[in-house]
Amino acid sequence: MHIPDGYLSPSTCAAAYAVAVPFWYVASRRVKRVVKTRNVPFLAVLAALSFVIMMFNVPIPDGTSAHAVGGGLIAILLGPWAAVIAVSVALAFQALLFGDGGVLAFGANVVNMAIVLPFVAYGVYRLIAGRSPLTARRRVVAAAAAGYVGLNASALATAIELGIQPDLFHTAGGAPLYSPYHLSQAIPAMMFAHLTVAGFCEALLCGAVLAYLQRADVTRLALNHPGIPLTADDVVSRPRRLIGPGRAAVIGMAVLALLTPLGMLAPGTAFGEDAPEDLNLQELGLSAVPAGLARYSTFWDRAILGDYGFAGGEHPHLAYVLSAVIGILVVGVVIFGVGKLTQLAARRSGHDDEPHATESAALR
Amino acid sequence: MTRQTPAWLLERDVALCPCGCIGKRRKGSFVEKTLTGTSSLLRQVMFSEDLAAQRGLLQRLDPRAKALGLLVLLVTAALLHHIPALLAMYAVTLVLAGASSLPLGFFLKRVWLFIPIFTGIVVLPATLSIVTHGDVVLTLWHWHGEPEGFTAPGLTSAGLIVTRVATSVSLVVLLTVTTPWVRLLAALRSLGVPRMFILVIGMAYRYIFLLLSAVTEMYEARKARTVGGQRHDRSAREFLGSSAGFLFGKANHLSEEVYEAMVSRGYRGDAQSIVTFRLRGLDVAYVLLTIVVALAIYGGDRLLGH
Repeated sequence: MHIPDGYLSPSTCAAAYAVAVPFWYVASRRVKRVVKTRNVPFLAVLAALSFVIMMFNVPIPDGTSAHAVGGGLIAILLGPWAAVIAVSVALAFQALLFGDGGVLAFGANVVNMAIVLPFVAYGVYRLIAGRSPLTARRRVVAAAAAGYVGLNASALATAIELGIQPDLFHTAGGAPLYSPYHLSQAIPAMMFAHLTVAGFCEALLCGAVLAYLQRADVTRLALNHPGIPLTADDVVSRPRRLIGPGRAAVIGMAVLALLTPLGMLAPGTAFGEDAPEDLNLQELGLSAVPAGLARYSTFWDRAILGDYGFAGGEHPHLAYVLSAVIGILVVGVVIFGVGKLTQLAARRSGHDDEPHATESAALR
Repeated sequence: MTRQTPAWLLERDVALCPCGCIGKRRKGSFVEKTLTGTSSLLRQVMFSEDLAAQRGLLQRLDPRAKALGLLVLLVTAALLHHIPALLAMYAVTLVLAGASSLPLGFFLKRVWLFIPIFTGIVVLPATLSIVTHGDVVLTLWHWHGEPEGFTAPGLTSAGLIVTRVATSVSLVVLLTVTTPWVRLLAALRSLGVPRMFILVIGMAYRYIFLLLSAVTEMYEARKARTVGGQRHDRSAREFLGSSAGFLFGKANHLSEEVYEAMVSRGYRGDAQSIVTFRLRGLDVAYVLLTIVVALAIYGGDRLLGH
């Protein structure tokens, strides 16, 4: 899955670095906050471990063997943020010492294997494992599923990066300058190998290591699982609250967002929403389009995604979904920012009675 | 007296020939593959350090100048649109390899083996009209009366990607085999990589070999106590989990010990470098030369487009 130099255009590589740098920054801050001055030896030894794990050949039943990436395993054992740095450093070794993966393409490789893989794997692991005790069989299944899904998400990201190249970058004669396969070819080709073989290798590694640590040294697992009971006997019964207020809010908003397109089924138009000409003047008892509506409806015509589509009108469905996602993100960021600002203002004026975040949330 | 060679000694084993061209073709087990992987890694590292100690043009340069020059050439190679321009850039890497007294055979083998050849195989289907549309230059079959085969854009594209990959790999190999690892790290630091990352990378490099030797010992021990071939069964998977899990425990323990050792030697969360580099005339000249060469090749590439 390591992309060598020459498969991606320089602009794609630059974009991938632009994605990777903030992750490195946040990851180094978070790790430093938790492990203080011991961050350097901690990360160094774990980066070495991550590199060595990539050397392991995973036995597959038919007699062959394949390499695992190990990003999912590191994320489960140490949390996704530490995995970002450990796997990035391991990838840097591979690129510089062994020519495995390019130097310009390093950013893209980091995005695929050190960011997408650990975060997706960790999310799947948390989702399936829930609050089951550390020695539960369910955790082994969760780890295996995490490795499988994480690796395939990573392969999909790689396939997308490669697949967008021929359409974006070609010579005047139409010959692709970099990777020549389109999305419709790159995605099936990549996913076939990863869904059938490589995904299972990663799943096997994650599951087997978790099972070993459960047997041999469960305290190592406790490192990244604060507040999780060790065995089924340690489970303290407490009033179960399935869904906390934060989660309920998120789920509610997600349901609303998914249901929003239902509005398109509604008959009629909202008072000339798309264009003033759509107004049914007779029905409304008007003799002409109101002057203000006529004048100001064309006041702003420089929208980036006008009419929820691209300027050229291609891929209308994709553009519609993209507009929705961007809209939700922008509104979310603005509200988050306003919330942070008000919090800051409240703290300035000395009315801060919110407890400070504890460090119990280890490296998550 | 007739002396008979035992039959098992005459039996040809694939171990004699890694390509499997003689004897019975047998896939290496995961244990053997892991062992050969780790040993070839160590061999490669040692050989690179030997090359970096030789006397040559690139070895004499300041690592910062070398890294900067590499970056300029690498970005230029990524921007080129024509095969002749890429070939010119590839010729530059050969000249640099010659000036740095790298054995040509080694250099070609190290660059071409695997990545560019693999790329060639991967892009082969893309030269056909079913993937890359365009004028068919060599018809292979007909589909509904339409000729199908190699297309001109497809062949151009395959040529572009293979030469680009080979040139890029050559440039990176040139930097890494002529620079000792420690000096390469210092160069990265001066190119703006944060100090914490440099410290982590530098220390990780040292502990890779310690952990690798632990892996080698575990796998050799398993190989030694297994009679017959390794089976890829449940016990193999359990062994994989145990060895990787044990390594995790060892790494955790090690990081604690290393930290305590560092603190007892006065470490307080920051490190000072005792090596300072001085740029000389040769280094400046090298960087300027790479910029001139890069601009010349890029200009030539632009001219080819007209």
